[in-house]
Amino acid sequence: MLVDDIVLEKASKHFASFIALRAVDLSVQRGQFALLAGANGAGKSTLLRLAAGVSRPSSGRVLIAGEDPQRNSKARAAIGLLSHHTLLYDDLSAEENLSFFAQLYGLTDATQRVEEVLQEVGLLEHRRRRLRGFSRGMRQRLALARATLHRPAVLLLDEPFTGLDQPACAALSQRLLQVKEQGHTCMMVTHRVGEAAALADRLVVLRRGRICHDQAWRGSSQDLVETCASFLGTTL
Amino acid sequence: MNFWQRTLAILHKDLMAEWRTKERLSPMAFFSLLVLLVFNFSFELGGAALHEIGPGVLWSSFVFASLLGLSRSFADERENHSLDALLMAPGDRSAIYLGKMLGNLLFLLAVELICLPFFTLFFNLSPGWFLVPLLGVFFLGSACLSAAGTLFAAMSSNMRLRELLLPLLMLPMILPALISCVEATGLVLDHEWGESLYPHLKMLAVYAIVFIALSLMLFEYAVEE
Repeated sequence: MLVDDIVLEKASKHFASFIALRAVDLSVQRGQFALLAGANGAGKSTLLRLAAGVSRPSSGRVLIAGEDPQRNSKARAAIGLLSHHTLLYDDLSAEENLSFFAQLYGLTDATQRVEEVLQEVGLLEHRRRRLRGFSRGMRQRLALARATLHRPAVLLLDEPFTGLDQPACAALSQRLLQVKEQGHTCMMVTHRVGEAAALADRLVVLRRGRICHDQAWRGSSQDLVETCASFLGTTL
Repeated sequence: MNFWQRTLAILHKDLMAEWRTKERLSPMAFFSLLVLLVFNFSFELGGAALHEIGPGVLWSSFVFASLLGLSRSFADERENHSLDALLMAPGDRSAIYLGKMLGNLLFLLAVELICLPFFTLFFNLSPGWFLVPLLGVFFLGSACLSAAGTLFAAMSSNMRLRELLLPLLMLPMILPALISCVEATGLVLDHEWGESLYPHLKMLAVYAIVFIALSLMLFEYAVEE
């Protein structure tokens, strides 16, 4: 039976008179990797913030694993968010950052799990270094470690490739591919759609707060860029 | 993980970051001492002035110092948007408020303890056991400032004019507590610890409890965009 991990039902979001999202209906099935594309201001990040439970919809509802993340703590525990901001603390070491979040998520195997994710992202030898001295690529790898630390069922990715050079992008894509293969449900917002071609199995295009295109996706990086450009009338 | 464990985890994280950077405590302490110093040179302090303006000078320096500290209290969360990660963590979100509030309270108490010897020096006040009740006034007064200040700091943290908005929001709200702090400090300096001091302490305790309770309920909405 197919289970919907991420569900938005007539979800709208207003900021004063500006309408960022207009009655969006979207459901992402378990194990699916949905790519959310759109021009600046289309409402992609707003949609992701609603799904993350960081922001409340003005109307409609958002469900993660069948529960409202605003009200239900367990639903929030099922979400991991990797953004272009690291969501980490510069004055703490890599290990302290992850230990802090392991504590917040109530992980019983915190020490072991922190070591495990640091190993996975290749930062175990830098565990005692403060984040302030990390390169952008290292920070983003640590951010991915934080996002997956509590073994979330749903991984939300908001422009994860921003500020990364080509090798770092390729390494992150590789790591995300592993995450996808582990069966996480993923929803990614990015302008660099070419990077996401190997990951995405569904393409959702947003325009002015509405979904204008939603289809299963399997194709090359070039096809994906062209498909998105055809909907947005611009080159991505 | 229960509410108190989450609160303590956030408090511990804030204290650890402050231990590394000294970004809050040092400016707060120096600023507070500077205010005392400026008043010392501006007025002829000591003697009668101690009782007339001493408590007001002392609490003015604490309030200004607290504004400095409070404006920095959500800076770490703003820098890499880590407040989002805190909001996404399971459990009651008001634990974030309480952890931050306790951190602000500790920093303010530390500043007050640093400033007290300088205050006694500038005002020619002979130190003695009579100052012990002042610690109670400091604790309750700081709890009031931190309780209200942390909520307003959270509210203004996402705003463009946050440095301006924080004092504008906070100062009118803390006025009743501030009056009691000044009155209670004056009474302690006058060696009057009995019946007359009690209502002020009670007022401060009630203010702190009410503001903490309100903030615990409102925090989640205060940090929303």
